[in-house]
This record gives sequence, structure tokens and C-alpha cells, in this order.
Amino acid sequence: MALPRTAPVRPAELAAIPAARCVSLDVRAAIRSGEEPFAQIMAAVAGLAADQVLVLRTPFEPRPLYRVLGKRGFAYWTEQGAEDDWSVWFYRGDCTASPAAPTPAPRTADTIDVRGLEPPQPMLAVLERIERLGPGQTLTVVHDRRPTFLYPQIEARGYVHRTDEPEPGVVRIVIERPQP
Amino acid sequence: MTASAPRGPSPLLPLAFLATAALAFVLAGLALPWLAVELSGHYYHPRLVALTHTLTLGWITLSMLGASYQLIPIVLGRTVWSERLGRWEFGLAAVGVIGVVGHMAIASWPGFLWSATLIGAGVLLHVLNVALTVRGLARWSFTSSMLVTGFVGLVLTTMFGAALGVEHVRPFLPGDFYARLHAHLHLAVLGWVLPVVLGVSAHVYPLFLLAPPPSARVLAIQAWGVAAGVPAVVVGLLASSALAALGALAVAVAAVTHVLWVASLLRSSRRPGFDAALRFLVAGAVYLTLDAVLGVALAFGVVAGPRWSLVYGVLGFGGWVSLTIVGMMLKIVPFLVWYRAYAPLAGRGRVPALVDLRWPIMERIAFGALAGGIALLAAAVGVGHAAAIQGASLIVMVGILAFAADLGSVLHHLVPCPLRAAVRPS
Repeated sequence: MALPRTAPVRPAELAAIPAARCVSLDVRAAIRSGEEPFAQIMAAVAGLAADQVLVLRTPFEPRPLYRVLGKRGFAYWTEQGAEDDWSVWFYRGDCTASPAAPTPAPRTADTIDVRGLEPPQPMLAVLERIERLGPGQTLTVVHDRRPTFLYPQIEARGYVHRTDEPEPGVVRIVIERPQP
Repeated sequence: MTASAPRGPSPLLPLAFLATAALAFVLAGLALPWLAVELSGHYYHPRLVALTHTLTLGWITLSMLGASYQLIPIVLGRTVWSERLGRWEFGLAAVGVIGVVGHMAIASWPGFLWSATLIGAGVLLHVLNVALTVRGLARWSFTSSMLVTGFVGLVLTTMFGAALGVEHVRPFLPGDFYARLHAHLHLAVLGWVLPVVLGVSAHVYPLFLLAPPPSARVLAIQAWGVAAGVPAVVVGLLASSALAALGALAVAVAAVTHVLWVASLLRSSRRPGFDAALRFLVAGAVYLTLDAVLGVALAFGVVAGPRWSLVYGVLGFGGWVSLTIVGMMLKIVPFLVWYRAYAPLAGRGRVPALVDLRWPIMERIAFGALAGGIALLAAAVGVGHAAAIQGASLIVMVGILAFAADLGSVLHHLVPCPLRAAVRPS
């Protein structure tokens, strides 16, 4: 049985993170059915808030992901439950702050980069994020095209949005949850 | 920064086209084994002409028209001018295809003419819709240019086909009958299908494969190959075999450049694996290479005769075009169904992923039977052995039925069902 190359015991700072801040994604069924879930994983990563952790379950150790997400500033810790059941915690260095720390001021602006994701992952990531916006808060989406299928979904939920192209090939959409 | 309030593209319009196209594909697949004897003879037989138009009009053209209603908003960043016009177009084209195929099968040319008129009206509505959509477009990409080229090719093909129908009732065209037939077929494949496939793939393959877009050089070679090669092939088939041969070379260069680019995408793809749709698209590119080589060989007289022409048709329609459309459909249809059924719920609860909508075992059967069956069918029609043709046709039929079953499993998510809620694995 191959053993993970990370620490055998979950790091203390990771163990202190409450379950509410863990985003779980199980791709075992998708992989077994012949699909590859890379885009789904990257969409989940794109949708993570700064203090959230992605808990990924796979049927094998996803070693290529360590390097890919490492470039995005994620550390990882791996646990093997069974021969074909691996759980990997991907977390940012600053997400392990003590839950007892003072609550930060509400964020008024946030950014999500969905370039390079296969549809409908950009739409899914954006819709999941805007549901967490408070009144008056905005989400800036960095996209590689005008998302014509996304706009009606945003409007149907009562959000307002505006779009510009700050440089060729880059589309920026600012979505705001209006004040009640 | 500009405020935008676009209308939402409806997924039901492209889905109506795509589902009807898939139905035509199934009917063609079911008919194929019964036409084994005809396929072992000369290709100009009323039933084979009807089968060909079931594929070219029912399967290929309807799927490409429908896909354009999904792809135009993505490629151009704007919604189609009128979806109502699109619904009229769908009705006219669908009834017209039934009429054309039916009347061709029984060689009834007056009936063919009114059916062709309906298709012509549908095509004109589509072209009008596209023209009004692209009106005022500031930036013309390779994809938008190829789409417009393809629609011009579609109009010319429709007019050419109608003229061939009128010729049966009241002869007026000069020249050789088979030369006109070959020119009409090549105008359809190279003037309509090829530009759209090249244009759309340049935009969506990098998205599918998580790979860089094609270089300006690759795009220029493809654009020049189509612009110079397609008119030369069509005019050459009518007037000069030397011109047709030169045109075939230019088109083959464009096709091979496209295939080499697809191969480079596969090498640079950041995807760790390929799903069924991508496997179909890659298989389609392989068949395009084979068909381009055979097309050049036919143009230069290296091989000749109706058997080689049939092999050329099977590799082109069955291999390159059909496998490419199947691959595209396996990408487009799950997205449209997901968008219609689950996008309003996204972010508010659990929704299925695209993979949950599909039927993987059927996709594997479809790929094996279609990719392998088409090769066997090409070999069988090349030999001209009716029993071998029937056996290969049965394999192809199984592949088409498996593809249809997979599409059905996706489409059934459009039917409201409380038991289907929250099917995403967790």
C-alpha cells in the first residue's frame, strides 16, 4: 500500500479549522465513470474564500494537483482512508488563523478569476460566490469572454452588473448585490 | 465601463435543432444495414441519395444550424437577433428535410422542389438572423469570419441543390450530370461544413482542452486554404480537372494544418485525461486526414471509380463530419440541458455536474462502434461486398443507437422530476 508523502498526523493548525470552513468535493464517482474532474476541481478552488479549505476526495493520490495548486499558493495534507479513497486538504497559509481571532470587517469587494475553466464551471463558481455577497457588496469576475449565458442568471437573482474589457482578451464583470 | 442588460439566450431553440438532427442520425443508422446491396453498387441510386441527404440535411445541417444558436452568443458575445425567427426557421427546415428525403427516395421531383423551397426559406431566415446579429460587429475574429463563410456556402449549396432538382423537371443546365453532382456535394462539404468546423474548433477546442488558442499563422493557412481551395474545387469539378486538383491541394493543406494544430493542442493540454466528447473530436480529425489524402488522390487521378468515391464519402460524412458533430453534441447538449434545468439552482443548493447527466457506458459503446465501425464500413464499400457492408453497418447502427441513448439520458433532465433533485455525488 502506497503511503502519502505528507505528515501522518493532521497538522494542528489544520485540525483547528471548523467544518463550516471546509468545502468538500468528491470526484471519485466522476473518475470511475471515465470523466476527468480537473475543471470541476479548479472551479471549486476558484470559489474558495480566503479562509476556506478544499477537502478533495479521490480514488488515488492526486500528485499532479500538488504542483498545480502549489503555484497558486496552496499547501496540502493528504490522508489515505482505503486503497481507493484519498482525502487531500488544500489550504492557504493564512487560512489557519485561530477561529478565536477578532472577526475581520465585512468584505466589500472580492475577485474571482475564472479564465481557463470549461463551461459551466465559471458560471457555477460565480453563482456560488454571489449568493454569499451581502447588500452593497460586489464581486469582480475576471473572464476570457463575455458570459452571455451568465448575465440572465445574475439578473434573475436581482443583482446588477457591468462589464468592460480592460485589455484585449480579458473581460471584467462587476456584480453587485443591491441594497434592500 | 458599460452597463449591459443582454437578453438571455434560450437553450430550447438549439436543443430543438440538435434533438431533431440526432433523430435523423438514428434514422440514417437504422436504414444503413437495409441499404447494403445498394451500397455495393453505384452511388447514384435514389435510396442512397435519400440516405446521403438524411445525413447532410437532417443530421449535419440541422445540427450545425442549432449549434450556431448556442455558439454565436459565446463567440460573438451577443445574443442572436431573433429567436422567434429561429423557431420559424426550425419548422421550415425540419419539414423541408422530411420532404426532400422522402421525395428523393421515391424519385418524385415536383415534390422534391416544394420541399427544397421550404429548406431554402429556412436557410434564408437563418442567414438573415446571423446577418442582423453580426451587424455592427467591431472585431472580426477567425471564427466569426469562418461562420459567415460557411453560411454563404450553405446558401450557395441550397441554390445549387434546388437547381439540380429543377433540372430533373425541366432540363436547363449545361455540362455533365455527375460533374454537377460532385460540385454540389463538394460545395456542401467544403463550402459549408469545413469553414464552420475550422472556425468553431479554433474557438472551442482550446476551451475544451485547456490549451492555448491557434497561432495567427495556423489561422492564416486555414483561411487561405478555404478561400482559394473551395472555389477552385467546385469550379474545377465543373470545368477543369487541373483546377480541381490544385484546389484539392489547397483544401488538403488547410485540413492537415487543422489536424496538426489539434495534435499540438493534445500535447499542450493541461487536462489530465480526455472525456468521450474529446475522443470523438480527435477521431474526427484522424478521419479528416484520411479523407483529405484520399480526396487529393481522387483529384490527381491516383485512384478513380465509384467504389473509391463511396469510400471517400463514408470517411468524410461518416468519419470526419459525423464524429466531429457527435463530439460537439456531447459538449453542447449537456451544457444546454444543465443550463435550462439546474443553472437557476446553482449556488442555492446542490446541483449535478455535467458528468452526472451523461451515460458513460453508452458513450464508450458509441465511441468504439462508431470510430471502428466507420473504418470497417469504408473498407467494405471499397471492396463492394454486400454482406461485409451489412455487418459493418450493423456496428455503426449500434454506435448511433448508443449515442442516442446517451443523449436521451441527458435530455430527460429537462422533464421536471422531484426524485432527480440533488444528484451530485458528495
